[in-house]
Amino acid sequence: MFRTILRREFQETGDSFTLLSALVALTIIVPLSAYIQARYYQDVVKDYALRQSINKTENNDQSIVLIRPIPPLAPFFNGAYDSLPDELRLRNDSATASAPSGDLRPLDWLFPKIDLSFIIGVLMTLLTILLAHDTIAGDREQGTLKLILAGPILKRTVLAAKVTGVVLPTTVILIYTVFLYTIVVTVSSEGAVGLSGVNLSALTVFTLVSIIMLIMTAALGVAISASAKRSSASLFACASIWIFITLIWPTFGAYITSSSKPVPPPEAFQRDMASKEKELIREELAEHRKTTANLKEQQVGVEAAWQRYLEVRRKWIERRNEEIERLVRERNKQIHDQQTFARRILLFSPYVAFNEVLGSLCGTGLENYDEFLAAVERYRQQEFIPNGLELRSRQKPWLNAADPDERLQLPPLQTPAPTLSKRLAAAAWPLSILIAEMIILMMLGVRNFERYDVR
Amino acid sequence: MIEVSQDCKHPDNLSKSDFVGKQIVEPSGSLIWLIAKKEIIANIRNFKTPVTLLTMTLLLLLSAHALALDYQNRLNNWSVNRDSQRDPIVGGRVSYDLSNGSFSHGVGFSHPPPIQPPQPFSAVVKGMDGEMDRRVVVSDQIVFWTRQDQPAMSALFDTPDTSFIVKLLVSLFALMFSFDASPREKESGTLRAMLAQPIRRTELILSLSLGASISLLASFAVAYFIEIIYLRLAHGLLSGWKDLVRAMLIFGLASLYGIVFVHIGLFISTITARIRIAITTTLLTWVTIVLILPSASVLMAKLLTPTASYNQLNARLWEARRRILQGEFETNGSARTARPSRLLMPRIYEIERQETDNYLSGKKDQNRRARLFTVLSPAGALTFGSSDLAGTGVGTYNSYLELFRSNQDVMIDALKRSLYLSHQEGDNLIKEAREKVISRQRSAEPLGASFRSSIIPISSLFAWAIFFGLAAFWRFERYDVR
Repeated sequence: MFRTILRREFQETGDSFTLLSALVALTIIVPLSAYIQARYYQDVVKDYALRQSINKTENNDQSIVLIRPIPPLAPFFNGAYDSLPDELRLRNDSATASAPSGDLRPLDWLFPKIDLSFIIGVLMTLLTILLAHDTIAGDREQGTLKLILAGPILKRTVLAAKVTGVVLPTTVILIYTVFLYTIVVTVSSEGAVGLSGVNLSALTVFTLVSIIMLIMTAALGVAISASAKRSSASLFACASIWIFITLIWPTFGAYITSSSKPVPPPEAFQRDMASKEKELIREELAEHRKTTANLKEQQVGVEAAWQRYLEVRRKWIERRNEEIERLVRERNKQIHDQQTFARRILLFSPYVAFNEVLGSLCGTGLENYDEFLAAVERYRQQEFIPNGLELRSRQKPWLNAADPDERLQLPPLQTPAPTLSKRLAAAAWPLSILIAEMIILMMLGVRNFERYDVR
Repeated sequence: MIEVSQDCKHPDNLSKSDFVGKQIVEPSGSLIWLIAKKEIIANIRNFKTPVTLLTMTLLLLLSAHALALDYQNRLNNWSVNRDSQRDPIVGGRVSYDLSNGSFSHGVGFSHPPPIQPPQPFSAVVKGMDGEMDRRVVVSDQIVFWTRQDQPAMSALFDTPDTSFIVKLLVSLFALMFSFDASPREKESGTLRAMLAQPIRRTELILSLSLGASISLLASFAVAYFIEIIYLRLAHGLLSGWKDLVRAMLIFGLASLYGIVFVHIGLFISTITARIRIAITTTLLTWVTIVLILPSASVLMAKLLTPTASYNQLNARLWEARRRILQGEFETNGSARTARPSRLLMPRIYEIERQETDNYLSGKKDQNRRARLFTVLSPAGALTFGSSDLAGTGVGTYNSYLELFRSNQDVMIDALKRSLYLSHQEGDNLIKEAREKVISRQRSAEPLGASFRSSIIPISSLFAWAIFFGLAAFWRFERYDVR
């Protein structure tokens, strides 16, 4: 009986106008989007190489620029990668890292780029809703539900067949979409997108998470269909919920949570920091003046004075680190609290949870940016400052014969690519929310169908 | 309504003229209005209008609240930056002069680079205004810092301004009011009854269009004006008459956008016989027009107008500088690390000016082309048109870039002249130029210019409304009412 209902569902879905039109639309959109993303990624890779060569020449013991590594799966999910600074400058006279410059991309803010996450999270979930909304209510309208339930079959079995009848075709389309997108991205990027090992595994998990997303959406459609008497009412409710969780809540939620937990504007923070820096600069200059007076009094030679100067300098760098870091820590805590609050509220939207999981898998999420910031801070403290001071200690500025080729030799910034298990661990919380929502909606569907009035 | 003459005449005496019916026909205008009124009442009774009104009011108020706070925050940010420009510069140099040699330690902390003030109308349509919050350093080169937004969840999603709500919801509600007009009347049997009246099919669809448009626009007008009043009373924004004119123009544009979708809905209703198919077609059409087409158009424009990135500009400048210095090294044999001589500097400045001009022109051309491509779709026309009318669109953005271009000219001229002055005089000249550059702030785009910029999007929406209106009339003439 299960098979008979399933076969009928497949037949209905296969013949449906919705599936056909969605398939045609996806066949046009997917290669176009993949091609554009691949071309864009190529530009990003070229830019990265360019920046590396510029920075190699311009970095010195006074200031260096560190570039954020490019996530290899960015063409599949852009996430926050484009919206956040892609390089940070460290200066030996400042205790903070600043983003030196950014390209002008106003159009990206008006019209977000279409990537695979958009195609699955928006277009394919809509397709699933369109297929699932009339599974029960539609049969009731046609009168076939009575006939099906007249047979020796449990309502749960009917429901399972209905959900499978929606999920299986959409899964096939999903696999087709991911496959097509991956092929076009790989070919069009001319080798810029490397898919091997961990990235390919991440892409497989990406597909599995997308299937969970589609099952969750199908469960939503069936649960509503099992509580509506007419398929048009069911579709109206499904479409409203879909619009709310996919388009309205993520957009509004982010702004509303930001305004309900505000952090002082960036310029105010910069001003506080500047005022602290100025205070420290004044004190440091005063100590240098005092030191030079003492050294003159003691008639110390220039080499010993240089060593004394370096000690003073090191002391003030440490002091500045301590004082400014305290301000930065407070600021980061405020931002972190705001983000955590926003996340908690927003994750109720399955679309946001889906995006969060993809962000962790593709390395384009907000946590990845936080990791980059942490790596830069470690680098500043462990490499840039000690090596800069060490270089200074070797120099003899009083001879006016500094070797121009004696440059600051620093190891590259270490931001190891996380393993798949680490990526999954980072995605555990949003993924569990997505799975919980799927289970709850399935249970709701079963409950609604058990009480459904088939007349 | 046909009333046959009832005069008593013998059948043999009847002339030909006596057989001509005396028609007391309801003027078609009142019939059109009657059917439109029926539609409006039906939309109120089946809760479409109340749902639209409630949803739009709620979301527009939420949007106004969120965006007004965002504007306030950005304004505070700008005013702190402006105050910081008056903070004292701290720094100095200490010389370690010892008997057998000397070295020195210098350190300083200057003002932060200035940022431009946000536009008050960005609380309604943010457009490209957020992109103009950057710190910008202008000297012989222009250094655009990154955007000032915090790394927050909002980076992942759209901006929930009025334009966003109109783009999503006005279109969706417009379709909801109209997509089932023909199949619904057909399934309930009223279509045949209506067509039995002396009314032409074109007049009937006109009345359906009127009914749907009035139901939509009345709800939207109430919600929109509540939003404007809220912004005015609760946040003190949009108080001048020019702002109100802008608000009215945006309302007009959004209404036109709504009418386009009413006509699209009517067209769908005339090509579908069953409500189920009409619903599916409507949703797919909505997603394509509202979510896919604008982004796809912008991407196409970017592909067709590739521009240099900021890093490419830097690389070109660096390479040009290196070439000039290399040339000098080969000619004069001076040290490789020497600073460029006074004679070379004007050449370097000119190359910097040229390359920066090329970079900015490329960006402006890309914006113009993206706008041209995107306004061909209704949602793109709305996004660009509303941001143009709000003074936060491409025109304003391009003049923002133009401001820095001319600031760079001021700085380069001062730098060139300073090469031939004494150290002190040169420094003073550069300082003067810097102060002049910092004091130049972008001003709001004049209303007339905003309106002129929005003529193309408005025309595009008019064209779409007429096209889908005519298509719906044409299809309805052939619609099978059985």
